[in-house]
Amino acid sequence: MRITNILITLLLFYSATMGQQYNTNLIPRDLLAHASAVVRNEETEVIVEDLDNTQVHFKTAITVLNKNGDDFVHIKLEHDKSTIIKYIKGVIYNEYGMQTGKFSEGDFEDASAWDGFSLFTDARIKHYLPAVTAYPYTIAYDYVLKLKQTLDLPTWKPVADFGISVEKSSYLFTCKPDFIIKYRETKLPNKVIIGKDKNGNSTYFWSALNLKAVKEEAYSPYITSIFGTVSIVPERFSYYGIEGTTKNWEQFGKWQFDKLVSDRQQLSAETIQKIKDLTKNIPDSKLKAKKIYEYMQSKTHYISVQVGIGGLQPFLASDVDRQNYGDCKALVNYTQALLKAVDIDSYYCVVKSGSDYKIGMPENFPRAFGDHIILCIPFKNDTTWADCTSQTIPFGYLGDFTDDRNVLACTPEGGKILHTPKYKTEDNIEDRKAAFEINSAGVISGTMITNFKGADYTDREYLFNEPQKEQYKMVQKTYPINNMEIDKLDLKQDKGFDPITTETIKLHAADYASFEDGKIYFMLNPANRNKHVPKNEINRVNDVYINRGYTEQDEVVFTLPPNYRYEKKPLEIIIEKPFGKFSATMELIGNDLKYTRRLQLFDGTYSKDTYSDLVDFFSTITDADDYTVSLVKK
Amino acid sequence: MMKPYLFIISIFLFFNSSFAQDFTYGKISQEELTMKTYPKDTSAHAVVLQEFGKSRINVGSDDNIKLFYYYHVKVKIFDDKGFDNATVKVFLYNDNDNDRYEEITDIKGVTFFNDDNGLVQKIELEKKKIYPVKINKHWASYTFALPGLKKGCVIEYSYSIESPYFLSHFHDWDFQADIPKIYSEYEVHIPAFFSYKAALKGHLKLTRNKADVETKCFETHGASSDCSFIIYGMSDVPAFIEEDYMTSSKNFKSAISFECEEYQSPYDGVKRKLTKEWKDIDYQLKSDQEFGGQIKRKGLFKDRLSAILIGKSNETEMAMAVYEYIQKNMKWNEFWGIYSDDGIGKALDKKSGNVADINLALVAALSAAGLNSSAVLLSTRENGAINELYPGTGDFNYVVARVDIGDKFYLLDATDPLLPFGILPLKCLNDKGRVFSLDKPSYWMDLNLPQKEIATKIMDFTLMDNGKLKGTITNYYKGYEGYKQRVKIKKFNSTDEYVEDLVGKLPKIKILKSEIINLDSLNLPLGEKYEVEINLFDKNNSDRMSFNPFFMDKNETNPFKLTTRSFPVDWGMASDDRYILTMHLPEKYTIEKPPQAIGFALPNNGGKFLSAFENMDNTFTFSNIKQFTKSIYSSEEYPYLKEMYNKIIQTEKVEMVFKKK
Repeated sequence: MRITNILITLLLFYSATMGQQYNTNLIPRDLLAHASAVVRNEETEVIVEDLDNTQVHFKTAITVLNKNGDDFVHIKLEHDKSTIIKYIKGVIYNEYGMQTGKFSEGDFEDASAWDGFSLFTDARIKHYLPAVTAYPYTIAYDYVLKLKQTLDLPTWKPVADFGISVEKSSYLFTCKPDFIIKYRETKLPNKVIIGKDKNGNSTYFWSALNLKAVKEEAYSPYITSIFGTVSIVPERFSYYGIEGTTKNWEQFGKWQFDKLVSDRQQLSAETIQKIKDLTKNIPDSKLKAKKIYEYMQSKTHYISVQVGIGGLQPFLASDVDRQNYGDCKALVNYTQALLKAVDIDSYYCVVKSGSDYKIGMPENFPRAFGDHIILCIPFKNDTTWADCTSQTIPFGYLGDFTDDRNVLACTPEGGKILHTPKYKTEDNIEDRKAAFEINSAGVISGTMITNFKGADYTDREYLFNEPQKEQYKMVQKTYPINNMEIDKLDLKQDKGFDPITTETIKLHAADYASFEDGKIYFMLNPANRNKHVPKNEINRVNDVYINRGYTEQDEVVFTLPPNYRYEKKPLEIIIEKPFGKFSATMELIGNDLKYTRRLQLFDGTYSKDTYSDLVDFFSTITDADDYTVSLVKK
Repeated sequence: MMKPYLFIISIFLFFNSSFAQDFTYGKISQEELTMKTYPKDTSAHAVVLQEFGKSRINVGSDDNIKLFYYYHVKVKIFDDKGFDNATVKVFLYNDNDNDRYEEITDIKGVTFFNDDNGLVQKIELEKKKIYPVKINKHWASYTFALPGLKKGCVIEYSYSIESPYFLSHFHDWDFQADIPKIYSEYEVHIPAFFSYKAALKGHLKLTRNKADVETKCFETHGASSDCSFIIYGMSDVPAFIEEDYMTSSKNFKSAISFECEEYQSPYDGVKRKLTKEWKDIDYQLKSDQEFGGQIKRKGLFKDRLSAILIGKSNETEMAMAVYEYIQKNMKWNEFWGIYSDDGIGKALDKKSGNVADINLALVAALSAAGLNSSAVLLSTRENGAINELYPGTGDFNYVVARVDIGDKFYLLDATDPLLPFGILPLKCLNDKGRVFSLDKPSYWMDLNLPQKEIATKIMDFTLMDNGKLKGTITNYYKGYEGYKQRVKIKKFNSTDEYVEDLVGKLPKIKILKSEIINLDSLNLPLGEKYEVEINLFDKNNSDRMSFNPFFMDKNETNPFKLTTRSFPVDWGMASDDRYILTMHLPEKYTIEKPPQAIGFALPNNGGKFLSAFENMDNTFTFSNIKQFTKSIYSSEEYPYLKEMYNKIIQTEKVEMVFKKK
């Protein structure tokens, strides 16, 4: 009896002290700044048993400081036929580190891992959000996954996101001695420790202590320059039962071509003949390709379906030919097949897409990277690119989603790293010319013509094919002219190799100008007022990164009621900075007031000290754009 | 009379009844294929040529009574912006946790088009390209995309759904959608054992409505009955076009919905009233384990409440304490509904539950504290308006608590930890709610509540000789505005981080001192106080300095762009915004052009905008009142709203210029 009592006391004591390590008081103070959660202790262990058998053991304890941190303990585990959840369990502790609850796999809900746009994806997700209403609290949990592949191995990112800090985190990777890996580290405080375990297996160990929470900053470089990461790629791998190598991009690209793409491009004799007929009178091969691309565009449309080999294998070209739809892979694969019908060779290119950052395939570090497929046609001295998912963009136009970055071309000869073309500051143009009349009732009326080029070419894409009434509504929301009524709207697109969109609006708006005591007042910049000034950062951490340059040109002539003159010095602003130029001027000639505005931003990375200049720059622009003209009667 | 297990009759006998109004599947006309636009709406990207649906209550192959729903549609697609209509997602419901989803069968689809030679071609939907997805415990879906789309094609598809939930979820029918329809028809077959009521929503009229009797169409376990057979048809249904600032489009779209009123069990002949009168519904809710059964569980709170009620001297304080207790101890799991999922006991233990788990627990807890509490069933804004004509619970999707103290009442929603006592979230401010308690008959209450968004902004500035403005900004937020502002501040980990962000966003203003008042005292007005310094000095002209008093938040463009409007503007609640600036000028400065006084009133006492300027010696005050006294403005009042915004924008645009005397 006594013994059991002692035992019980001991057990109680044991379990109480167990959790007290998670007492919130123990968190170092500097880890609380800008953090809504703190990783107390996290251990990731990855053991590669075999090419098609990887065990992942993940253990973590996270303290949630306030409601904003709840999301960090919303546990989400994606699984499919190659990722199996072996077990998962966890414990909930209160502020003082005392256990208040626990959970296991039965508490998780299994749901479709739908991405929000696909027609279908076969991945599923098990998720659970512990319900704790008193902050702070700590969740400690661990799980084991079995991966039946070795291509896509877990990366280590101790600071998972903005707003979370880390007391302690580590990553241990274990494999057989003959299993060769490559790893890549970014922004890590400690280098790897390489060793052997007691069974003679190779071990790679990374760890980190006391990493502060990171605040999100505008104009920041890509997250790999902000957060520390380790990525691991094995030299030989198996993926959904298909073996391959990542020795170099050449071999990895060849693997993708041979195993995922090459046998999926057959077309019926009938379709081949159709394509031949379609292009028989076009001698130039680039124009031939353009014709075929436009045929593909008019025939197909984009629908995402992610099934099978990690969503990496395209539908059969013959399937697309019949169904008229496919995702990016399927449509590129199909277009390639069509081009092949007239002996035009093309490449299936893997790209990491995105308009906010231009991220290329990592140099000398071949891995499954990228999320989009585009097409490259290597005409002699005229490499041409195409995105096959749009029904409307011109042949050869990539846009800001995939431009200026390294991509992997998967060809029968092997993988090649190619670079997509860049849209430069002087290519990306929004050019506006307007002639308005302001009458004595303050009504403005006239015509405004805007040309969009380069990356800006698609800026008005959303208006095309909409009914007129909808177009008018959308244009009214686009321009900040109050009471704007559209009398006529005309949209044109030149879909040549240097495409241009032209918008012509005839409009009028009441109360644009007001009159008082012999003076006239109105906004000098009617159509293109900058509203967004980046937030001032007192202790800026990151360099200033401008992803894309552009040029805005506005020239507006207002014809005014007669006999007005300047009341104050006319607006004249000229700024030149390394990252941009801005000028805004006005000039009164007779009854015509001419307003000229030009803004250029140059892409690049600038030192963090530049940031306050950038804030000033946009702040000055915003003020200049808000300028109210006041003229006085002669 | 009943002779159970006598024989089971084949249900398929009646499916080919001569009443069938379905159009022939797979038949296409040349006109349909060559049609270039829809003459009645040339802007349409697609038009429904024909749409047919049928719901029949019958006996399934497993001998259970089920709802057999059939859907069939043919759509003309004019251009690629109409292609979306060929991607179909059919949702299947599961009422409980036992995996009894509705079952879908016979999905068929085909696309017709004219080939280059003008010959009709068709492509069938392949079975393997139909994707089943289990979304969560209540919903699954089947998705498919019709193959071979091209401009001008016609798509056609049909499917059948077998549902055990014929009493609770009889299939509704939407006549109106975002594309126009040439003809849409819904046919229902309901055995005389069951009695449903139908409610037609929207302003469009049925163009066909026929009721008939089918004899001996339903038979189970020896009991048989006739069926009522009703056809609802609508031709030339225009596309529904949404506008900004409106409530659920469901309130305005033409549709028909059904709710079971009563049924006689074919097995034992016992009649069960489901909805007929409110007193029946009251009884039913009261005895429902997932509703009234939960409200009764006062015992759960005896121990829990004793501590928090200590020292509470009056009923209001008690109610506030109970509300705060539930708010702080239960987390909403993001599931909606008027019925408790887990039972409030389990939910209290888990500290988590759906809307009903939490708010029914609140009703029970209030009542355990000896307060006069009730549950208010309502339909959220997104869910659409209530149909008051027929008693029923089918329209409700949310429940809140009500407590009556003296002659006052408060509505409480404990799912959001930042809501003050007596304030409902915007989503609940919709139409009417039904107040339900264990001991009194239920009744309607208006959810056009007195709660408001109230903000008062007071600035007191002194212009210094060095061209700097120094002074204080004091903002108070009351009612729902206080809630909104707290949500904004709580996005940050601390008030320091919030102020840091504010400083970043107002680069021209130096915040010398800041204070956030009552952030966690939800029932008191939230205050923000800033001591600031603003540099007005103008490089170009040192004699003149300009200042826009609305630098903190300015209305710059009119939210209303259209000249006219078809639907009411519905903001959910009234608002009151006041702004007072007191400015002290140094001796040698004066204001160049005082702002104009403006007075603008909305018709029907709907609100006003007032702007006033008063000058005394070297101090002036400039004040603004923006008031919207109603939550809903009719389309007739729309032009006045628009004009009032024009006036507001004009006023807020004005720069004050200070110059040397």
